[in-house]
Amino acid sequence: MNLAVSLPRGLELKNPIIAASGTFGFGPEYASLVDMSMLGGISVKGLSPDPWPGNPPPRVWETPMGLLNSIGLQNHGVEVFCQQDLPFLRDIGTRIIANIIGHTVDEYRQVAARLSREPGIDALEVNISCPNIKEGGMSFGQDPDQAAQVMAAVRLETDLPVMVKISPNTTYPVEIAEAVENSGADMISAINTLVGMAIDVKHRRPALGGITGGLSGPALKPIALRIVYEVAQAVKIPIVGMGGISSAVDVVEFLMAGASAVMVGTVTFQYPRRMQEIVAELPEIIKELGFDRLQDVVGSALPGKSNAAHVMEEECQLPRPNGRVL
Amino acid sequence: MAPIIKRKVPAPDHVELWVHSPALAGATPGQFAHVVTQGMLRRPISFSRLDVDTGNAAILFQVVGTGTRWLANQEVGTVLDILGPLGRGFPVPDAHRPWCLVGGGVGIPPLLAAASQWTGAAQTRPAAILGARSDSLVLLEEEFRQLGHEVWVTTDDGSRGTRGTVIGPLARWLAKNPQGQVYACGPTAMLSAVVAISGQRGDVWLALEQRMGCGVGACLACVVFGNGPEGPGYRRVCTDGPVFSREELIFP
Ligand SMILES: Cc1cc2nc3c(=O)[nH]c(=O)nc-3n(C[C@H](O)[C@H](O)[C@H](O)COP(=O)(O)OP(=O)(O)OC[C@H]3O[C@@H](n4cnc5c(N)ncnc54)[C@H](O)[C@@H]3O)c2cc1C
Ligand SMILES: Cc1cc2nc3c(=O)[nH]c(=O)nc-3n(C[C@H](O)[C@H](O)[C@H](O)COP(=O)(O)O)c2cc1C
Ligand code: FES
Repeated sequence: MNLAVSLPRGLELKNPIIAASGTFGFGPEYASLVDMSMLGGISVKGLSPDPWPGNPPPRVWETPMGLLNSIGLQNHGVEVFCQQDLPFLRDIGTRIIANIIGHTVDEYRQVAARLSREPGIDALEVNISCPNIKEGGMSFGQDPDQAAQVMAAVRLETDLPVMVKISPNTTYPVEIAEAVENSGADMISAINTLVGMAIDVKHRRPALGGITGGLSGPALKPIALRIVYEVAQAVKIPIVGMGGISSAVDVVEFLMAGASAVMVGTVTFQYPRRMQEIVAELPEIIKELGFDRLQDVVGSALPGKSNAAHVMEEECQLPRPNGRVL
Repeated sequence: MAPIIKRKVPAPDHVELWVHSPALAGATPGQFAHVVTQGMLRRPISFSRLDVDTGNAAILFQVVGTGTRWLANQEVGTVLDILGPLGRGFPVPDAHRPWCLVGGGVGIPPLLAAASQWTGAAQTRPAAILGARSDSLVLLEEEFRQLGHEVWVTTDDGSRGTRGTVIGPLARWLAKNPQGQVYACGPTAMLSAVVAISGQRGDVWLALEQRMGCGVGACLACVVFGNGPEGPGYRRVCTDGPVFSREELIFP
């Protein structure tokens, strides 16, 4: 089965599995463990105009079925990225998505402008979960107007395909998605981590150096699916879904909820080769579920498209998937 | 994939597991194994023994939480999912100058891997300074004695060796060997005291711990503050370390 995915502005993925930003570094770190040419793409660590130092340690803390992180978007800046990391990434045979961050609308604009001058970048992903230091520190991703301003500024600087990564830390993610669609976003990626915290009882203090952190991993998946499902009904542009994916069946859930492609993050820490395994397993699972083409899975659980009665009838005729837990 | 071939309980709540894996057995002492246990993340554990000839390696750990408890219950025959060897290990000492190993608690095991590889070439008698909370928790003392090391033991409660910490014997060793090479592994407070007592003397190498995500340098979870090639900043324990020189670190 052909797993290729066609996204706006000519962004062609060989399959729908993309490494999520911040969990796959800049590529070389995993080069000896993962065949990167097997992936649909890699979204690199968030890039700012100048280096950001990040938060004090500890920066990760395990929670039930989840992971809290407060890395604090440490990165060495877009210029060092272009000179030091991009040459490696150009040659690995997969799509490169540059994840961009900023403290002001202008910082996002600067990074987008710089990256648009470089060959080898296939798309931009705008991480709007950063605090807007000019507007009292609330994150861009919590306000439709500020999110739209960022997207509009980026749009003026680039013809690359742009996805805006929306945050679950807001009451109405759909409003943010609609706002950035109206200001020129080509795609939505959803979702970023959910703010949480843990207490280190031995030391009687917050567990993370950054006090609060972002929750990722399987614990996040139901929330991510709900947001993808809602956004898919509100916007016309494609969605790249993520949050807690650790198996091919998880991927199918996101596709059915309306995602055209997905990103995989936290599970890679434990099983670096899981993304490759998912790529290998996906065709068979899609077939077992009664689809001939990947595109037909996308959105198949959305209202108006899903048909519970039909599916139940089909199930009686389908051979049982051998022991697989679906 | 590394099958367990031997299991030993060297002290209460401490387990040493030998695995067969030629790739792991080729590690540099001070490097670590990143082991799948339970939960979302692998557990980083240093190698206590490395034998290239047999292709066997061992890890020795204390049971402190869910992951190490699971690992402690695994039996011979279980196949472990281990990533490694990872990180930057200890540099080999200059055999013409004296060297000493300073270990506290589960900081001792990686020093045994180092001692086993280096002792044969040593031109002077190496010293091993081993610290623990109490008698039953002094790890691997016999192994260091068999290698011919001058062994000093300290315990917090005085139930074995000298009462106190490893810093007392280290101060005496450094007074005699101001050009010596010191290799230390243990709790952060101990490492910070090792740095303080050593002042500018000799060469000091420290193996650090930090909570990790990926273990391969990608996620920037495992940082400590130090001096890098570009000046002061966060350095990754998993790839820039876990072994750092005294000069590379900045203790608060
Ligand atoms: C490079 C390195 C080498 C190590 N070598 C040894 C060794 O040889 N022997 C030994 O007994 N221990 C060693 N440790 C510490 C060991 O990693 C922890 O004791 C272990 O991860 C605890 O896991 P847990 O699930 O039992 O504890 P939990 O507290 O349940 O673990 C929760 C999370 O915190 C992390 N964590 C907890 N304590 C530590 C710690 N001290 N350092 C890093 N992460 C921690 C765990 O990995 C896990 O992700 C080493 C740590 C590092 C970084
Ligand atoms: C350690 C870590 C670092 C991350 N860094 C970034 C980042 O720099 N930019 C970004 O947009 N998302 C970042 N994320 C969020 C992930 O890309 C992803 O949205 C989230 O983790 C949910 O997916 P998962 O459950 O598969 O990990 C990070 C996540 C983790 C765990
Ligand atoms: S644990 Fe990921 S960078 Fe060190």
